Amino acid sequence: MYWYGAGTNISTDPADVAARLRTAKTNMAEYNPCDWRQLQQLGLVKDRQEYLEAVRSAAIYMAEEGIAAAAQEKDVELLQMVRTLDEMDTVINLLTERLIDWYISITPSFSRKYRGSGAGAARLVPMIGKKGTEPMKKVAREILSMSAARTNLMKEVSRKAVVVIPNMSALVGGLVAARLMSRAGGLAAVAKMPGSSIQVIGAEGALFSHIRTGTPSPKHGIVFQHRRVHNAPREVRGSVARALAAKLAIAARLDYYRGELDTEFVDAANARIDGLMGKEGA
Amino acid sequence: MMIAIDGTLVSKGKGGVYGERMIGEYRVWDPYRSKLAALWYLDHSTDLPGDSVVLYLGAANGTTVSHVADYAEAVYAVEFAPRPMQDLLMVAKSRKNIVPIYGDATQPQRYAPLLEPVDLVYQDVAQPNQAAIAIRHLPFLREGGEVILMLKTRSVDIRKSPEEVFADTCRELEDAGLSVVKSVWLLPYHADHAAIVCKRV
Repeated sequence: MYWYGAGTNISTDPADVAARLRTAKTNMAEYNPCDWRQLQQLGLVKDRQEYLEAVRSAAIYMAEEGIAAAAQEKDVELLQMVRTLDEMDTVINLLTERLIDWYISITPSFSRKYRGSGAGAARLVPMIGKKGTEPMKKVAREILSMSAARTNLMKEVSRKAVVVIPNMSALVGGLVAARLMSRAGGLAAVAKMPGSSIQVIGAEGALFSHIRTGTPSPKHGIVFQHRRVHNAPREVRGSVARALAAKLAIAARLDYYRGELDTEFVDAANARIDGLMGKEGA
Repeated sequence: MMIAIDGTLVSKGKGGVYGERMIGEYRVWDPYRSKLAALWYLDHSTDLPGDSVVLYLGAANGTTVSHVADYAEAVYAVEFAPRPMQDLLMVAKSRKNIVPIYGDATQPQRYAPLLEPVDLVYQDVAQPNQAAIAIRHLPFLREGGEVILMLKTRSVDIRKSPEEVFADTCRELEDAGLSVVKSVWLLPYHADHAAIVCKRV
């Protein structure tokens, strides 16, 4: 079958072509690509120009349909939200560090203890907002307002993740679940990943250095951000990450193919992970 | 014949596709942005005859596609990701000889009914099985037609050296009945990329 149909069912109307190709599975072993002259003989186009125009219109129609469908996927917005959130973090940290350096450079009495971008930095920005020069105050206010927007966005991500990826969110919380999905490249991608890959999402540098030069393998990537991994005693942290990642792989598939919370699965998975943690399980 | 003005590769067409520089009515084709342009700078025998039909796999935003379309008679451009596909559609709307196909190059059976026999299969996809993808499209290639495979060695196997990946890919292509005419590493324009030009005999 060719794009314009076969037998008595022949047309070059884009909607017809799209319907025809939606289920197309050409047997490539015995395939002969179509000859545009055939369509000319059928009288649907008068020359090569018209043929190209017809096939092009059909292709554009299908592409627009496909892009519209992709935009309807429920994970599309969540993906952009997480990426925006992570980018905001980067921007806020960079600006904060720069602002502090700026303030220090004209304040010789300033204690070096506060330097860096840790908890100290969070207190410094409001302080610079009060004591700094006028331009500094303005930048400080921008950082603070961006931090507020970031906090709101973070809550929104968690809330949306619980709806879009309920099972993954139930295991590691909405934010970490959304980050895993985003780094994997979407819900469909994470649903096709083995647990061992999910375990090291976000630790690609360490993973490739391990594969190339045999440095110790990474035990956890983004999953480390989940409290049961970073709170686990060192000896069992790798095992917890491993078990959690394996359950996340199942959860991702539930989320992708079923899309509903499976409390039975979540309870059993949580029990298994908490079992590894001993008494420290939450 | 490819057009060069004082040694600068250009193509003749309407400008303003991606902010490319113009020399008169000619669009400058930047080797640092396009692997095909890089191949021409490294090997001037690279050609896109005016009557050729091209199957372009991994069309992305349509930057290189737009230049190919300036030379070729028709370009069937396949792209898989929705975001770049939107850009490609914009390019295709102002160029009547681009047929933009929203599809996965690893699954040609899905869009095969749209294609016709082509003179050149040009492939630039970041996938692990790049040779296999090219081979799957051989039914569309005319006898005597060419395959230009832009091999991104890092996408194939990170554990192997670029040279090993390159040798493996050439072997795979030859086993499928293609003859490798020439191969060019795209330095200094693109790192870890090799262009492999094959002929279907």
